[in-house]
Amino acid sequence: MQMKLAEMRDVVFGYGPTPVVEGLNLEVRTSEFIGLTGPNGAAKTTTLKLLLGLLSPQRGTVERAKRNEKGGPLVVGYLPQQIAAFNTGFPSTVWELVRSGLFQRTGWIGLRQKRDDAKKVEHVLHQVNMWEHRKKKIGELSGGQKQRVCLARALVTDPDLLVLDEPTTGMDANSRTLFYDLLDHQVRHHGRTVLMVTHDLEETLPKLTRLLVIDKWIRFSGTPEDFRERMDMHRDTSLTVPLYCCYDDNPQNGQGQGVKRETVPPSQGGNE
Amino acid sequence: MLEMFHYAFLQHAFLAGGLIALIAPVIGVYVVLRRQSLMAETLSHVSLAGVAVGALIGVYPMVTAMIAALIGAIIVDTLRRSFKDYSELSIAILMSGGLATAVVLMNLNQSGTTRSFTSYLFGSIVAVSRTDLYIMGGVVLLTALFFWFFWRPMYVLTFDEETAFVSGLPTKWLSTGFSLLAGLVVAVAMPIVGVLLVSSLMVLPASIALRLTRGFGAAVFVAVVVGLLAVFMGLTSSFYFDAPPGGTIVLALIAMLVVVLLVKKLFGKR
Repeated sequence: MQMKLAEMRDVVFGYGPTPVVEGLNLEVRTSEFIGLTGPNGAAKTTTLKLLLGLLSPQRGTVERAKRNEKGGPLVVGYLPQQIAAFNTGFPSTVWELVRSGLFQRTGWIGLRQKRDDAKKVEHVLHQVNMWEHRKKKIGELSGGQKQRVCLARALVTDPDLLVLDEPTTGMDANSRTLFYDLLDHQVRHHGRTVLMVTHDLEETLPKLTRLLVIDKWIRFSGTPEDFRERMDMHRDTSLTVPLYCCYDDNPQNGQGQGVKRETVPPSQGGNE
Repeated sequence: MLEMFHYAFLQHAFLAGGLIALIAPVIGVYVVLRRQSLMAETLSHVSLAGVAVGALIGVYPMVTAMIAALIGAIIVDTLRRSFKDYSELSIAILMSGGLATAVVLMNLNQSGTTRSFTSYLFGSIVAVSRTDLYIMGGVVLLTALFFWFFWRPMYVLTFDEETAFVSGLPTKWLSTGFSLLAGLVVAVAMPIVGVLLVSSLMVLPASIALRLTRGFGAAVFVAVVVGLLAVFMGLTSSFYFDAPPGGTIVLALIAMLVVVLLVKKLFGKR
């Protein structure tokens, strides 16, 4: 049985009087690779921030596990959407930045440095193909390289849950493929959980264990196969079909098999 | 040149300047990277109001300046969180409010302070007392302890506050603690550099260091070296030219910045 890492129940949130998230229900379990997609302004980033505690819901509850499956403290790695654009003049080498992630596990205070710390930093830098750039100042890197360094910083913490907000923005096709392969490896071989906002369904869908389509609330939750079936119902095998076709309250939808469906508005019931 | 150190007041000034130059640039690096350069300016204006209150009620002005700066730091930090999009507006209000309060209170105080108003505005090499030195020493110790314990958390907090929060750091407390420390440093630096120029001693060494270094630790180290050099050059010229030290220190810093920019432009790759 997969352990529940985070759960959102009937969450309502808005930046002003109009809610951008309404009756949102969501569960994240161990060893899942979840893709979160939806149109612009669908509250994808807001959902992640609510899940991580960066925002507080106006109604409903958000719970995160305190401990991981092994009984240790739950470690969460987060790559915000704008991380690559942020603080471009920050005086830090790639090595320094990635190493700073270690303290999340080893402790923030004191001089304690494990002998294998350097090896660990080296390992993750190799994983994201940034080893040869380790002495560069992060401001000298491209957007895609910065994203990879930030992923390395998250990976060095041995995270139980990785939350990524459009992490491949600014990456070329080859780097994107390597990036998704790396995430896939983290889920399959290290049992990590990944929750990632993405618009890149063509490339990510084969890797995902679950896809969520959000627009104020979860409109669709199912396996990539379920999603493809839903798309096929629209007689189009490409993934460029507008996402609203898989909204459960879309009258054009047929009876998707294996897809948990909710036709009631979220205020009257759950939606995932 | 060494004969100037025969004067006790100048020994005090150099000691005080050295102490301030050890800590102000460190705070400055964080302040600049957290896009809070105006914070130091605001806190200095608020602490001037503290000086005025101290002079009016007969309490040692540096103590009331520190209290005012601490209150100001809490307000600045709270407003920064509440009005993320308009944080500079709250800073402008607090800055002018602090200066207005100081001017009115100093005018009310007809008996005058032990130091002239100008010495608080631009600094003075004769203004540093032994008590000031003890207080500065205490603040230097506090700053050293703060960064000894929180060097790593502050690095992560400065890089990205949201990532720091998700990493499990108490970002609110850290941020408030840092603002309080900045307030204290501003208040104790006032006698030497003066209210109007104290933020320069934080921001300018940081900007020079950020131009010269690649790593974070190196940036902090270079900022401190630059700060020390500028303070010693500024105090020496202040003595020989009979000019307020705040002005000479800041001019020394600007000269260093210009040299660095020129050298980087002519010979640098970046």
